Amino acid sequence: MAGIEKIAVIGAGVMGSGIAAQIANAGCEVLLLDIVPKGADNRNQLAESALQKLRRNKPAAFMQEKFSRHIQPGNLEDDLDRLAECDWIIEAVIERLDIKRKIYQTLQTHRKSGSIVSSNTSTLPLEQLTEGMPDDFRHDFLITHFFNPPRYMRLLELVVSEQTGKDQEARIREFADWRLGKSVVDCHDSPGFIANRIGTYWLHAAVTGALQHNIDIEEADAALSRPAGVPKTGVFGLIDLVGLDLMPHLFESLEQSLAEDDPFRELGPMPDLIQDLIDKGYTGRKGKGGFYRLNPDPEKAEDKEKQVLDLQSRDWVKASRPKPKAVKAARKGGLRALLSHDSALGQYAWQVLSGTYSYAVSLVPEVADDIESVDRAMRLGYNWKKGPFELIDELGTEWFIERLEKEGREVPHLLRLADGRSFYRTKKGRLQFLNVKGDYQDVERAEGSLLLEDVKRAGKPLVKNSQASLWDIGDGVTCLEFHSKMNSLNPFIMHLIGKSLKLVSRQKFTGMVIYNEGTNFSVGANLLMLLVAARLYLGFAIRVILKQGQFTLNKMKYADFPVVGAPSGMALGGGCEVLLHCDAIVAHAESYIGLVEVGVGIVPGWGGCKEMLLRGKNSTMLKNGPMPAVSQSFETIAMAKVSTSAFEAKDLLFLREDDAIIMNRDRVLQAAKQKVLQMAENYQTPEKAVIKLPGPPGKAALDLAVVSLKKRGLVSEHDHVIASELANVLSGGDADMNDELSEETILQAERDALVKLAGTKLSKARISHMLFKGKPLRN
Amino acid sequence: MSNKTVVLAGYARSPFTPAFKGELAKVRPDEIAAQVVKGLVHRTGVNPDDIEDLIMGCAFPEAEQGFNVARLVTFLAGLPRSVAGTTVNRFCGSSMQAIHMAAGAIQMNAGEVFICAGIESMSRVPMVGYNPMPHPQLYKDYPQAYMGMGETAENLVDKYHISREEQERFAVESHKKASAAQKAGKLSEEIVPIETENGTVELDGCIRPDTTAETLAALKPAFSENGSVTAGTSSPLTDGASAVLVCTEEYADKHQLEKLAKISSFAVSGCQPEIMGIGPVESTRKALKRARLSLDQMDVIELNEAFSSQSLAVLHDLDPQRQLMAKINIDGGALALGHPLGATGARITGKAAAILKREGGRYALATQCIGGGQGIATILEAV
Repeated sequence: MAGIEKIAVIGAGVMGSGIAAQIANAGCEVLLLDIVPKGADNRNQLAESALQKLRRNKPAAFMQEKFSRHIQPGNLEDDLDRLAECDWIIEAVIERLDIKRKIYQTLQTHRKSGSIVSSNTSTLPLEQLTEGMPDDFRHDFLITHFFNPPRYMRLLELVVSEQTGKDQEARIREFADWRLGKSVVDCHDSPGFIANRIGTYWLHAAVTGALQHNIDIEEADAALSRPAGVPKTGVFGLIDLVGLDLMPHLFESLEQSLAEDDPFRELGPMPDLIQDLIDKGYTGRKGKGGFYRLNPDPEKAEDKEKQVLDLQSRDWVKASRPKPKAVKAARKGGLRALLSHDSALGQYAWQVLSGTYSYAVSLVPEVADDIESVDRAMRLGYNWKKGPFELIDELGTEWFIERLEKEGREVPHLLRLADGRSFYRTKKGRLQFLNVKGDYQDVERAEGSLLLEDVKRAGKPLVKNSQASLWDIGDGVTCLEFHSKMNSLNPFIMHLIGKSLKLVSRQKFTGMVIYNEGTNFSVGANLLMLLVAARLYLGFAIRVILKQGQFTLNKMKYADFPVVGAPSGMALGGGCEVLLHCDAIVAHAESYIGLVEVGVGIVPGWGGCKEMLLRGKNSTMLKNGPMPAVSQSFETIAMAKVSTSAFEAKDLLFLREDDAIIMNRDRVLQAAKQKVLQMAENYQTPEKAVIKLPGPPGKAALDLAVVSLKKRGLVSEHDHVIASELANVLSGGDADMNDELSEETILQAERDALVKLAGTKLSKARISHMLFKGKPLRN
Repeated sequence: MSNKTVVLAGYARSPFTPAFKGELAKVRPDEIAAQVVKGLVHRTGVNPDDIEDLIMGCAFPEAEQGFNVARLVTFLAGLPRSVAGTTVNRFCGSSMQAIHMAAGAIQMNAGEVFICAGIESMSRVPMVGYNPMPHPQLYKDYPQAYMGMGETAENLVDKYHISREEQERFAVESHKKASAAQKAGKLSEEIVPIETENGTVELDGCIRPDTTAETLAALKPAFSENGSVTAGTSSPLTDGASAVLVCTEEYADKHQLEKLAKISSFAVSGCQPEIMGIGPVESTRKALKRARLSLDQMDVIELNEAFSSQSLAVLHDLDPQRQLMAKINIDGGALALGHPLGATGARITGKAAAILKREGGRYALATQCIGGGQGIATILEAV
């Protein structure tokens, strides 16, 4: 099968350029083309300014700044010949059939034979797009629908026709999965495909419902977010985020293409409110605000007061962060408690969600072959924790049907078919879903991917406690999983790591992967524990915790089998220190790694300083001499630098130069397992490290740098105190530059520094602020 | 002891380009210096076999500027093996010091012809070097020994009550003069184009002709939260090399080399490190005294512009009536041209000599401040 190396994206709008950036992240060359604006001096103006915007994007569109160089901006008049170099051409222009068709005609004359053409349309049916096009074009054409922002949203909806060549489909599938890191969901050629069809219904139902029943926006968002496994933006916050002006487009296209009796129509037209807001410039976060805004009063600009639209008065009032009873009930009783809550908000939530879930059920098989595709689309395209079918299972199909019936509402066919059975079940350790015939069948994972979730379903852990578990993932490889709150680290986890190390060695397993399927690998050490000890002046207790952690992680480093760290999401503080002690790292591209201890007024104390120094000394990126490794480690730790991708983590030396980066989240575990197996052949325990450090002159040099930052007002007095302690650890204390220091010497210095800092009033304030306010305090 | 007349008989330099983003950022400093030395030898027509020594100034002589870079440059420049090489460090005054050493050696009958050069790639060797390791006790007891240059510039602002506007006017002037000189071809005369992997580099890259008081006023203080010294009123980090030919007048005449000027006197001096920028005041006074001249007798002055505030402070002491402004840095100064530390001394001395020759007049002064609290000055006389 011919690979895909060079790609063209037609249309440099938000989606087109975002897709181009993700392709650039995959290491491919991208041609980004748009029209020549009338009278423009710079004929590439649109693509070039899109590229500039991408470079400034927050969150970053590029995983490493230099990836932007993979994008070559051009225009649709002068650069058409270059399309002949491209293996895949993605059309991402305005949603107008006439324009798209015209572009396809152009592509057809310039593309090379066998190249693939796909549309990023979110609304137009494939059938209409290719009408009148020759057979070879239809053979090479499909719909690849990305979600915004294309780097971060893992969903790719794929639509093919009967004419689409199987070979072409397979090429895209492979590229999207392995190189772009997407989870491909097969959709039928129906309006809005899966995620936007259900998502738009959900948003529309929520907005019209709130207007109808006069529900407070903040309350609506509180009810429709966390209890339903939806990000805290809820509904109104989400509309603000994606842009209110997107709503009329989604609306119009669905209205045009949906069947006359589609339940979406029963919700009525798009409320005038939305158009009014757009007209006033309230297009959401990218504009003046939307349903929420920051107080525009310049006098209050300092405190950035958050305001929310009052649906009755149509004016913005101060946001009050309400905690409605219905939501409180959900904390204890789950989603069912919210939907049964005897209050206007409970009623509202039921109306919106029962409508949305029923609608989703009614759409299978119109939009997809099976319910698993629908759930996956909603999880990955809308960031729901669970898809609608999983949510109905949570409520109980029986309960759900009963309530619909009680209200005299129609029960969708598939729900009837379930007949009280759940949509999903585990059978012989395998996850199964209910298919449209009413039978259960296995959920198929992408070939070659391995999910811990499936391993867990099939068996029991080798060893576990309340915070972590060790699993057998086959071929003699084990997987250590954290499952504490936010995967924060504590002595129990360290204890289990120690136990696991013994078990792996004793039972002759090949090696161990450290991995989990939480949003974050680990957010760091449990701060509450530290704060309590610090407040009680229990320096010795902190010392014990530090020593235990250092001892355990060093045991792991010098174990007689390979240990591979496999992070995804955040790996901060202690989480980062765990990784630093692994023999190798296989990281998901979206790994945000950093030693952020200074943010809470301390220094890394589980060997993080030591390991960063060793990495610096071993790096070919740094020049020789006593200082470079020390300066680099100091800068990284003192500024609490966090990588915005695994690629950046290499620049920061958290990853070694030969550590692997995996684009697809679902392939990380398998890759890490392979790495263990590969390393296990001829595995030799690393030799004990010794290190030479500059001693007091090094500390003086670092202090010079901090003092000049302080003069510029960039560091506070307490920052300076912390930096001095850190400088002392990293420069080797009183050592002479020719002394060979053991790891224990540096570990001892880490402990001393941390205990000292944790005892200061200002560091305690930092810890407490992070714990209770969730963000760092600068004091 | 002999009493010979020592002359400058040639001056050349590379283009000066901004560190990291300029066209020389990816060129090794020893390579830049070698091409400049080669260019100087070629332009002057000196017989290389006659050269006693290549004296090379460099402020951070390590990494690609390490290994006694002067000796290596003799190899790279294709000089005969008989030519010796020594690297000297007096920070920003390094290559002016090289000239002084040659002159001194000539007076001691220890050679007749010298190449005095300077080099600094601030892209490739950071300003404190790769391994800054201050003496811990000295740092504790006397931190100004290691004080950053920007901070010393702020100290002069405070001491001499120099306004931000005044600093900015001075910087705008520097860019104007440099830009006019560039347009008039007055800079290209001295530049040896540097061949790089990406083509030939022949233009200075730091000059910003569009610099105005308004653009500078928008910049944030670079060194102190409430300070007034900005990136616009500091000389930029720069890559470049320079070289002059120093020999006896007798030798120059005998071999028909073009004499630019003769060296009348020179001096170095020390001052408080926290106001190192004031260094030129004392060194200039000493050099003038040794030449039995006064400042108003100078027709050409090259005063290195490490910072606007530093130059203005020096002028405050040396020229309180501001009568000399029209003679100072007439082709622009370091604020516009850039300041590759080790290369600046040979540039301003060579430049002062070249201007003296070009514009006429009798005496010239080249002087500069030096980190750690020093000044250095050279008085030239027309030949």
